[in-house]
Parts: sequence; structure tokens; C-alpha cells
Amino acid sequence: MNTTTDTTIPTLSPWGTFTLVFGICFAILYVVCDMAALPLFTYHPGTDRIDLGYAPARRDEGPAMYWYGWLASSSLGAAILSGLAALLPGKIRGKIPLALAWVVPVVLLPVLVYSLMFYWRW
Amino acid sequence: MDFLFDYISVNTFWTILFIIHALLAVALLGALTHQAAAVLTPPRTGDTGGFVRRFRSVSAPSYTAVVCLLWVLAFIFGGWIYAKYRIYVRIPIEQEGFYKTLGAFELKEHLSSIGLGLLPFYWYLWKNAGNTTYASARKWLTIVLAAICWYSFLSGHIVNNVRGFGL
Repeated sequence: MNTTTDTTIPTLSPWGTFTLVFGICFAILYVVCDMAALPLFTYHPGTDRIDLGYAPARRDEGPAMYWYGWLASSSLGAAILSGLAALLPGKIRGKIPLALAWVVPVVLLPVLVYSLMFYWRW
Repeated sequence: MDFLFDYISVNTFWTILFIIHALLAVALLGALTHQAAAVLTPPRTGDTGGFVRRFRSVSAPSYTAVVCLLWVLAFIFGGWIYAKYRIYVRIPIEQEGFYKTLGAFELKEHLSSIGLGLLPFYWYLWKNAGNTTYASARKWLTIVLAAICWYSFLSGHIVNNVRGFGL
């Protein structure tokens, strides 16, 4: 753990940019995958069956699970986008606000709550 | 894995996994809460003694690696038992009509996933703990992760109270 006092680094390193953009893109893509039903695969826990992409629950085989597929979709998308962002010149990388790392999840919270509207019945 | 079922029942196996998941969550909650308290209300000069002062007087950077490790492990165990939850816990809760409980748990799954994606940057910010240009992002990201952890812990606890494994 580097705890030395170093205030001379004005921008993120390529790795730092990768991690920042990954966190932001992962959060956004996860919500998009959830709301637009875009899992990379669908898992049927009753039969251990895996289908590529979105697949509805099969008759007499129990429910279908999309969460694992959303994680895979959003990880893949975020890895590609953050890899590209890490290749940007330092000047441009330095313009990415660090605060997005925590602002984006906070902004997405009401979207997620809204996406679960089905459950908030009385 | 099937050889285990010669010694313990299937229900016991999943209950053990759940308890490991819960214990990891408790440890994560403690570590993140200490770290969040340290960045949110650092001890003032001349502040002497007391539980609150000692609680927030921890070396915040030293918690980073263990927070990342515990989050990942708790997530893996949570993801493992989630498939069983979907069939043996969620369906009975649906049949009982406890929709708000299920919604709260769905929100937990979303938030803890988003938190997982933020861990690399969280680790990066704390690895450069001496860089004051990162201080604000480091502080607020830690607080957001601590809030996610608290929410996840409580909603998971509620679902377990409604219907845990091994029933």
C-alpha cells in the first residue's frame, strides 16, 4: 500500500483509467442489460441448462436466471470500453472526472428501483 | 462434490455455504464501516479516547486489500447459492406474496454487482492513498461501497428471516 505523500500526479495512469472507466461502464451496462433483457447467456437452475443470449423459462423446467448473463455481458462490454479508454492520450484521460465513479451508481439507484416496480406492490 | 453428500445432507451443504457467505459479509461490513468512518469523520487533533474515536482512528488504507478480497469471496459464495435460492427460497416467498421482500433482495443483487465492478478503481484510489487529488473520489467511493454493503447485508438478513436455506 503506497501511503507516501505524492500530490504531483494530475491524471490517472492507463491502468487507473481502465479501472475508472470499467467501474462506470460496468454499472451503466449492467442496468442496460437488466432493463433491455440482454444477458450473454441464460441459466436454467432446475436442469442446469445454459442457453446463449436471452431465453425464456421452459415449460416444466423451473425458472430461468439472467443475472449471471447480465454480469457476463456487462463485464465484457466494460472491459472493451475501458481497454479503449486506457489507450487514450494522457491529456484526454485526465479529463475524465474521478467523481463519476461514485456519482454514476448514485444516479443509477432510482433507475434500478424503478426497474423493480413490479415488486413494490401493496 | 457429490462425495460430500455421503456425510452431510444436501440441505446442510447449502446451509454451510450460506453461513460462509454470511460470515464473509459480516467481516466485509466491519472492514468497510471502519474505513468509511475513518474517511468521513477522521479523528480531530486533541480528540482523546472514547469508543467512537478509536473506531474511526484506523489506518484506512490497510483495509483496502481485505475489503476487495472479502467482497469478491462473498460475491462468489452469494452467486453460488443464488441458483438454489432462485428455486427453493424465492418461489415459496413469491407464493406467500412477499413481493417487497423479493424486490429488496433484487436490488441487493444489482447493487452488489455494481459494487463489484467498482472495486478495481477503489483499489487503485487507495493504492495511491498519498495522492491528494484522489481524496474526494476515494472518500465518496468508499462511502458508496459501505452503503451498498450495509444495504446488501440487511436485505439479505431479511430474506433469510423470511425463508432461509435448510427448510
